Amino acid sequence: MKRQEADSSRYSFTSWQQICLITSTLIGVGVLTLPRTATSRLMEAGWMSPLIGSLGAYFSLWMIAKLSRRFPGLTFVEYSPLIWAPKGSPRLGKWISFPWIFAYLSFLYVATGMVSRIFGEVVVTSVLLDTPLEVIIITMFLLAFFLSLHEVDVVARVNEILFPLIIVPVLFIAIASFQKADWNYLFPLIRVSGKSVMEGAYEAIYSFSGFEIMLIFFAFTKRNDGKEKAGFFGILITMVVYTLIVVAGIAVFGFEELQRLTWPTLELVKSTEVPGLILERLESAFLAVWVAAVFTTVANSYYAVIYGLRQWFKKGLRFQRVVSGLLFIPLFIITLIPQNVVEIFQISSYMGMANLILNLGVPSVYWIVLALRGRRWESKEGKADG
Amino acid sequence: MSQFWNAWRKRKESLRNLTLEQHANKSMASVDDRTVTSVLEDNIALIEQQFGKSDDLVIRKFQIKTGEEAAVIFLDGMVDQDVISDFVIRSMTTEQTTYLAPATNELEATNQLRQIVRNILSGNSVLFIEGSKEVYLINSRGWDRRGVSEPKTESVVRGPRDGFTETLSVNAALIRFRLKDPNLRVRHLIVGQRTKTDIFVMYLEEIVDPPIVNEVIRRIEDMNLDAILESGYIEQMIQDHRYSPFPQIQNTERPDKVVANLLEGKVAILVDGTPFALIAPALFSQFYQSPEDYYERFYIASMIRFIRVISILIALLLPSMYIAFSAFHPEMIPSRLLIAMAAGRSTVPFPSLVEAMFMEIAIEILREASVRLPGPIGPTIGIVGALVVGEAAVSAGLVSPVMVIIVAVTTIGSFASPSYSAAIAIRMLRFPVMILAGMFGLYGIMLFIIVILVHLASIKSFGVPYMSPISPFNPIGMRDLFLRLPHHLMKKRPTMFRVHDEIRMREEDQS
Repeated sequence: MKRQEADSSRYSFTSWQQICLITSTLIGVGVLTLPRTATSRLMEAGWMSPLIGSLGAYFSLWMIAKLSRRFPGLTFVEYSPLIWAPKGSPRLGKWISFPWIFAYLSFLYVATGMVSRIFGEVVVTSVLLDTPLEVIIITMFLLAFFLSLHEVDVVARVNEILFPLIIVPVLFIAIASFQKADWNYLFPLIRVSGKSVMEGAYEAIYSFSGFEIMLIFFAFTKRNDGKEKAGFFGILITMVVYTLIVVAGIAVFGFEELQRLTWPTLELVKSTEVPGLILERLESAFLAVWVAAVFTTVANSYYAVIYGLRQWFKKGLRFQRVVSGLLFIPLFIITLIPQNVVEIFQISSYMGMANLILNLGVPSVYWIVLALRGRRWESKEGKADG
Repeated sequence: MSQFWNAWRKRKESLRNLTLEQHANKSMASVDDRTVTSVLEDNIALIEQQFGKSDDLVIRKFQIKTGEEAAVIFLDGMVDQDVISDFVIRSMTTEQTTYLAPATNELEATNQLRQIVRNILSGNSVLFIEGSKEVYLINSRGWDRRGVSEPKTESVVRGPRDGFTETLSVNAALIRFRLKDPNLRVRHLIVGQRTKTDIFVMYLEEIVDPPIVNEVIRRIEDMNLDAILESGYIEQMIQDHRYSPFPQIQNTERPDKVVANLLEGKVAILVDGTPFALIAPALFSQFYQSPEDYYERFYIASMIRFIRVISILIALLLPSMYIAFSAFHPEMIPSRLLIAMAAGRSTVPFPSLVEAMFMEIAIEILREASVRLPGPIGPTIGIVGALVVGEAAVSAGLVSPVMVIIVAVTTIGSFASPSYSAAIAIRMLRFPVMILAGMFGLYGIMLFIIVILVHLASIKSFGVPYMSPISPFNPIGMRDLFLRLPHHLMKKRPTMFRVHDEIRMREEDQS
């Protein structure tokens, strides 16, 4: 007597759930290194880099939202063939869209692994000193596997529930560390040239990656409008959190010292002392709570990959479960390729570049194709929304 | 393989299409589907044959005033003797009735053998009259029943003192008496092929979402269990996720709680033979909400709710926190406390996981033993166990003093939840989280919390997500989640249950 949900229950993402999805996917391990990466070029004006980075991120997300509005109820995997080929030849469309979809899914796939690896490194070097790195990565994968056993509406609800667990600790740390802040570290306000501002924004871009999962998840919204708005607020909340953390980092340590810290946010936590709090040395507690933030990043991206594959092959939930179990094996090997933290940071800076190209490039290409084709035969949905 | 599935599906489909009456008849398969005759002796023989000459089957023959022979048949002990003697036998032997009918309040006539047998089994008596093909079914149920008393499992300081009893009609009356609304609908179902348990499904017509009612009734009819001895059978059979540790249907002994839930657009299931009524759909908030919250002023009610939430967290996490802190993160404990703890633990030969496991299992044994012991001894054993054994274990150096405190606080915390079935879920989940904390420290605890939250987000109760109104976020429902806002600010019903009449307090009613 198995009671399967009606298929329509999937299309139930509220705006708030979309905001939670975006924010909790963006906030992940990036926060742990952000004060360092943001200040490496911009120095004491490092707080500008999340501001500028968020603009780029929002522009890309806006294009993704617009694409999704044009094809309501369809994911990127489903509407991509419709863009590339006329309705009569779905196979042609599928083959042309293969490289784009493949690029996105494999990027998300590798990003999932890298995030788990970085988090594993943090945990192993600072909290669980005797635990092997592999165990942390495997437990993280098991969590993501557990989520991918469920249908897509569960993903939205999980993010909604975990959202306060992600936002509250990082805000708490940022604000609590202000009592040790030396505001002079923030001055002079503007000393850097325009060129280094762009470079600094580029450094922070990796911490804004992850919103491309909305290529899949925007399809399941309850209402077709309001996707851009949800994207805007999702990016805005992330930006505020990031800026606060960077400001706190600069104000407490100063940008020169930040360059020498591997995990500056963790050092921020260590230096935080809250009078009246029973516990001392909060970094273990912070990292434990931070599992939630990393989990949402890893699991959401992984879910998007698996769901994309499921739709590409037009299979059901059983396929999704089996594939999500199998795909962890190669991912585990990929995750262990970098030899040390330095290599990981190098890879993540390459991935930031790849992310920039993908997220700004692919939606633009799709819009150009749509515009070229739209001149020939305008689709009805396009008129209604455009 | 596919043939097998098709056959299975067809069977399910055919079961679903059976009407309620057919369901009832199916369960009477051993009784011939035939009508009775007009000869009295034949009929009596027929009934005796159906009951295999059971000795508690009473057949009382008498002659009615107009001259015909008659017999009244019932099961001893299940009927009210006064009804039979005064209103059936006396009225028919002495009064000059123009038509052949006894003077009782509920009367039905039939000639179907199955219906007759079913009525005898449920405590009614049947009247056969020589020469008449009609048989009278007389409502004479009246076995000894427990009176309405205070509910044992859910006591409140302020609030009504009456609780459900084992008798279905009394329970239904307790609800009717509080909710004098003609829209209160009762659907009577008979389930259990052998026990033939009566079940009432109650709901408020204008408020409830009809698909929920239909789903409840459909699932109850689909059960096909042969025995329903308690509402727990139904709860476990009709819940959405059978392998979940969380109760997805609420149970209660309190009529006021049932009424409040009916008014929120839920469905109540009353089962004959048990004082526990079921309420569906149920949400996670049942873990810490009590009817008393609405009777006290809202500041106090909200504060008490917070305390219950904290105590649930303590009951779930405190022992594992101890394990994580003492084994993995001693740097987090303030240094003076750490020294004191280390001094206490210096004689303990076990790792903290073993120590905590040992104590927690001991306290579970104690708790179970004190439930089973006869009344007056129970508390004594509790005191002996908690004080004497705990004290001795500390002085013997088996456990540290801090551990005793933690076990005590955990146990007390698990009693603060107003729902027993929710509290035992928490009690059980404490053990896996302790093992994870012993493996990974705080990281392990967090892994466990995430697994539980994902599970909680995935389950639904009759189509309503279990974690609502947190997720999906519902601002109207949030007013009554952790805080209990004043009644005048909760003019609308929570919309999670897709209620049809949203307004709780109409404008014209306000003064």
